[in-house]
Amino acid sequence: MTPAIAPIGLGSYLVVSAALLVLGVLGIFLNRKNIIIILMSMELILLAANLNFVAFSSAHADLSGQVMVLFVLTIAAAEAAIGLAIVTVYFRNRGSIQVEDVTMMKG
Amino acid sequence: MNAMSVNWILALPEITLALAGLVILVFGVLQRPGKGIGACTVLSIAAFVGCAVLVALSPDGAAYAGTFVNDSFARFMKILVLLGGLVALLLTVSYRTDERAPLPFETAVLILFSTVGAMIMASSANLMTLFVGLELSSLSIYILAALERDDVLSSEAGLKYFVLGSLASGLLLYGMSLVYGYAGTMEYSGLIAAIQQTTALPVGLMVGLVFLVVGLCFKLSVVPFHMWTPDVYQGAPTPVTAYMAGAPKFATFALLLRVMSGPFGAMAPRWQILIETLSILSMVYGALAAIPQTNIKRLMAYSSIGHMGYALMGLAAASTNGVRATLVYLAAYLVMNAGVFAVITAMRRKGREVTSLADLSGLGRTDPGLAAALAVFMFSMVGAPPLAGFFGKLMVFAAAWQSGLYVLVGIGALSSVIGAYYYLRVVKVMYFDASAERLDQPARSLVFVSGSMGLATVFFVLALGPLMALARQAALALGG
Amino acid sequence: MQTDLHLFAAAILLPLAGAVVAGLGGRLMGDTLAKAVTLLCMGAATVCGIGALWGGWTSGFGPYAVPLADWVNAGGFHATWTLRFDTLSVTMSAMVLCVSLLVHCYSVGYMSHETMPVYRFFAYLSLFTFAMLMLVSSSDLIQLFFGWEGVGLASYLLIGYWYDRPAATAAAIKAFVVNRVADLFFIVGIGLIYVLFHSVRYDEIFAAVPQAAGAFYTLFGHSFPMLEVICFLLFIGAMGKSAQLFLHTWLPDAMEGPTPVSALIHAATMVTAGVFLMARMSPLLEVAPNTRLFIIFIGATTCFFAATVGMVQPDIKRTIAYSTCSQLGYMFAAVGVGAYQVAIFHLTTHAFFKALLFLGAGSVIHAMHDEQNMFRMGGLWKKLPLTYGVMWIGSLALAGVFPFAGYWSKDAILNALWAADGRMSHYAWMLGVITAFLTAFYSWRLLFLVFHRAPADVQKRDAAHESPLFMSVPLVLLAIGAVVSGLVLAPYYIGAQQSAFWQGSIFNAPGNTIMETFEQVPGVVALLPSLVALVGIALAFLFYIASPGLPEALARSCGPVYRFLLNKWYFDELYEHIFVKPYAAIARFLWKDGEEGAVEGLPRDLVRATASGAVDAVRLQTGSIALYAFTMLAGLVVVLTVALCG
Repeated sequence: MTPAIAPIGLGSYLVVSAALLVLGVLGIFLNRKNIIIILMSMELILLAANLNFVAFSSAHADLSGQVMVLFVLTIAAAEAAIGLAIVTVYFRNRGSIQVEDVTMMKG
Repeated sequence: MNAMSVNWILALPEITLALAGLVILVFGVLQRPGKGIGACTVLSIAAFVGCAVLVALSPDGAAYAGTFVNDSFARFMKILVLLGGLVALLLTVSYRTDERAPLPFETAVLILFSTVGAMIMASSANLMTLFVGLELSSLSIYILAALERDDVLSSEAGLKYFVLGSLASGLLLYGMSLVYGYAGTMEYSGLIAAIQQTTALPVGLMVGLVFLVVGLCFKLSVVPFHMWTPDVYQGAPTPVTAYMAGAPKFATFALLLRVMSGPFGAMAPRWQILIETLSILSMVYGALAAIPQTNIKRLMAYSSIGHMGYALMGLAAASTNGVRATLVYLAAYLVMNAGVFAVITAMRRKGREVTSLADLSGLGRTDPGLAAALAVFMFSMVGAPPLAGFFGKLMVFAAAWQSGLYVLVGIGALSSVIGAYYYLRVVKVMYFDASAERLDQPARSLVFVSGSMGLATVFFVLALGPLMALARQAALALGG
Repeated sequence: MQTDLHLFAAAILLPLAGAVVAGLGGRLMGDTLAKAVTLLCMGAATVCGIGALWGGWTSGFGPYAVPLADWVNAGGFHATWTLRFDTLSVTMSAMVLCVSLLVHCYSVGYMSHETMPVYRFFAYLSLFTFAMLMLVSSSDLIQLFFGWEGVGLASYLLIGYWYDRPAATAAAIKAFVVNRVADLFFIVGIGLIYVLFHSVRYDEIFAAVPQAAGAFYTLFGHSFPMLEVICFLLFIGAMGKSAQLFLHTWLPDAMEGPTPVSALIHAATMVTAGVFLMARMSPLLEVAPNTRLFIIFIGATTCFFAATVGMVQPDIKRTIAYSTCSQLGYMFAAVGVGAYQVAIFHLTTHAFFKALLFLGAGSVIHAMHDEQNMFRMGGLWKKLPLTYGVMWIGSLALAGVFPFAGYWSKDAILNALWAADGRMSHYAWMLGVITAFLTAFYSWRLLFLVFHRAPADVQKRDAAHESPLFMSVPLVLLAIGAVVSGLVLAPYYIGAQQSAFWQGSIFNAPGNTIMETFEQVPGVVALLPSLVALVGIALAFLFYIASPGLPEALARSCGPVYRFLLNKWYFDELYEHIFVKPYAAIARFLWKDGEEGAVEGLPRDLVRATASGAVDAVRLQTGSIALYAFTMLAGLVVVLTVALCG
């Protein structure tokens, strides 16, 4: 039985995940506005890694990559929760979550 | 040994500590708000002590399908981690002396969970364990850094650490995925096999390795991944800063040493130059940037950046001696660093914490004991014999020299000289500047910590023999 | 005999005891006690010294060795602290002790107006005496060098005694430095002696001279007779100490010290150490004829040079200082022709009359309240009759007028120069005679200016008073010496009994017959010095009493010559340009560019660079999350590049 669509090669997955990584990274340091965007960018980076794990897991026919993805998803959830909590606390103190405002300490 | 066996005994310390953490959490939640904090802290301290005993007694071996390994190296690092956590806990005891609400009981619990994460890192034999341990440790610290919920600096510290830490974790994870992809396995032993099979390393594996190292270097606050350190150290509550400067660094070093001399040990010539560069950058930048500092917590941040550079020298040596040197260096660093932070925590005036260097003026007259302790730590950080720091530095320098890294040793010596300037400036401020207003009487727990650490710093040489034997054993367990 | 040796040792060690007690304990015991202690020690030492001399006189001078202590015993080198008891050392010691005692005594009066405690002064004087005695009583060259440097040190301390006067400290340093230059040659000479003879002991050296005559020393491809080189080096050492031409510049400046110091150190004793050294080394000099020619040349030229300069000096002490320089030149000229005994004779008589002149000058200065310019004095003879009288005696002795001391010794020198019958010695004789004339002229110029001319400041003249007893007694005693010493000592020192008297402590080679022949000169040659001296006195009378306007007119008409003399032949200026300025330039270069620029500057620049680097390093830390993240990623890229390409 032939697949309905032609199988997609490992390389394509890697390219997509690399693109996601770059997007996420750019989102962190090109973004001058809102911290929430940074949180989202971080999710992108984690997802890029996850995509890699799944793709490699499939390519190697090795399950551990997919197990890793489950762990990462869990941790990412915890991380997002903590991140949002910190942002909330910060907003309460500072009255702003603009990225350029987070420069009380320097030098 | 059955790789699939679930060997609970090996992970008993971690399990015990984690369970204790859960129990204390439940206990704390059941108390009325603001009550039971002391009890939680005491329980945590007890858990730490018990855990340390368990670590010392735990046997060698691998567990959980080879993802978790216990050997003398892991035990050595876990003891360091536990000591670091214990000191931080002691510093929280009398942290709040003014009318504000005390640090919540979760502080102790979070330190405890972070320590569990750090211990798992030290025992990891699989990228999966590595990541989970690292994240458990890091997530707790994100919260700890922002613990002063009414303080804008503390929340900014938490935010910065969180954002940059997550970025670092993301990069680390991406590196792991590449390593997994090009080696086909996440187990260290599998990685070793995969690397030894190939003559030319795939580029993807190399890239993955670099991402991995960068992620760890962030935790170590190695230049150029150090940028968060001064801000977070300054903003976080002092006991948390003390914790951050200790336990997670040891755990990360454990990981770095295990990964670099284990799976990637065969590639040493490829990464040696990398570590060397990072080490030089850290030592020099740490020494330079500390000079204009006026806040002692920021000063200590740059100081720890520099110290990590020195500790990396041992890794750069890529030899058993080098690993041993790094371990001894970390032990010395633990002792003097804990002492310094105990003194910083004791710096308060009318109940309020003060952290400016000028606040130490004339401490030599107003509180000779505290000043003497701080002076001892500062001299030790400079590397003056016969204090703890001297032996650490001596060993890493010797190890690097034996490996032929003369430039590294030269620059290390040079940056030591520069570093001496700002360390000794603290001494000068205490003993030669006009007296500032008197500081409050330090709490007994702080006197205990700074005093005992001061004694440990001074008499480090007495424990040097056994310590070096342990460190050597640990290094041998690692290098094989 | 043993008693004499003990007396001799006591004579040498007692001044040291005085110096130590007064110097270290002076602050506690006070000035009076310190003065008493040093004076007592000196008195006892002088008695011992004269006793030793008497003992030697009656029972023979040995030579004997008086071992005191072991000093250096290293490998093949062995030096002991041993005194040498022979005619030369005992007579020199007695002379030094007598003059020193008188100067000590004189100083008690002279230093009585000091505001600062003076125990230091007396301790230095005694220390000097000890060092000088060590020098003359040495039995080997190392010990001699110890004494040599000891007197140099004491001289430095005493010239700079008034350390709050910049001129005094500068003069002290100058004396020290010039002597160091000469001493370098001296010690190299001693080194060569050790190389050649494997010993520094006189006895062994002198015994080995005949065997060493053929040794050669090769330098820059030329071969020199070893003994000539050694004597040349020793003579340069002597030139420094005895202020001979080219190394004389320190002596006039040394007059910044208290006048008793000038009398003791810079007239009677220390400056004659060079002559003593030559006499002591006579067995070596006898086999170094070329060096002796050089010695004649330097001696005669110094003699003439110093006298010309002395003619025009306005300062009373500097005039006498140049006179000293000139008289030392005579002595060296005598050494040059091999008449060492004559040199020592002149040394001894000179010690008396020159000390007398200095102390007399000190008495004048004391009376005039530290005025030293002769043109601001005048008409003092009624106020200072005693001083006036002794200055006359001193001047007569200096000018060599019969029968005063100088007559005997100076005439002997000039006769010896004539009798030596060489081209160089005739040159020396000619200059010596001219100098005799000049000497008489400047001596009476001094006398007339100070005592006779119309006073420049009448009030000051009237306020002048004769010196106290402590000062006048030494003057009288020295005056007696200046009158009779020549007459009394001449038979022993240079006359018929000389060889019995010296008993070989001064050596004349078999071919050197100068001591027998120097009397046999034509009558006109023998009379000439006395004659020119009288002419000199007459000229001085003409210039400064009969027609006082004459010197000024002459100075104006011969401007360049006058300025040349007044500026001491421009030696100081010459040295300033040849040595001092280039040296100062080098020193300044090393200080400013080498020391401050490189040695200190480099660390300072490093510190500055570090500090600015620190500020820049901190400036990177802007607090912006975006920048922090960017730095991390930039670091990642760099690390990646290094890892993949490195």
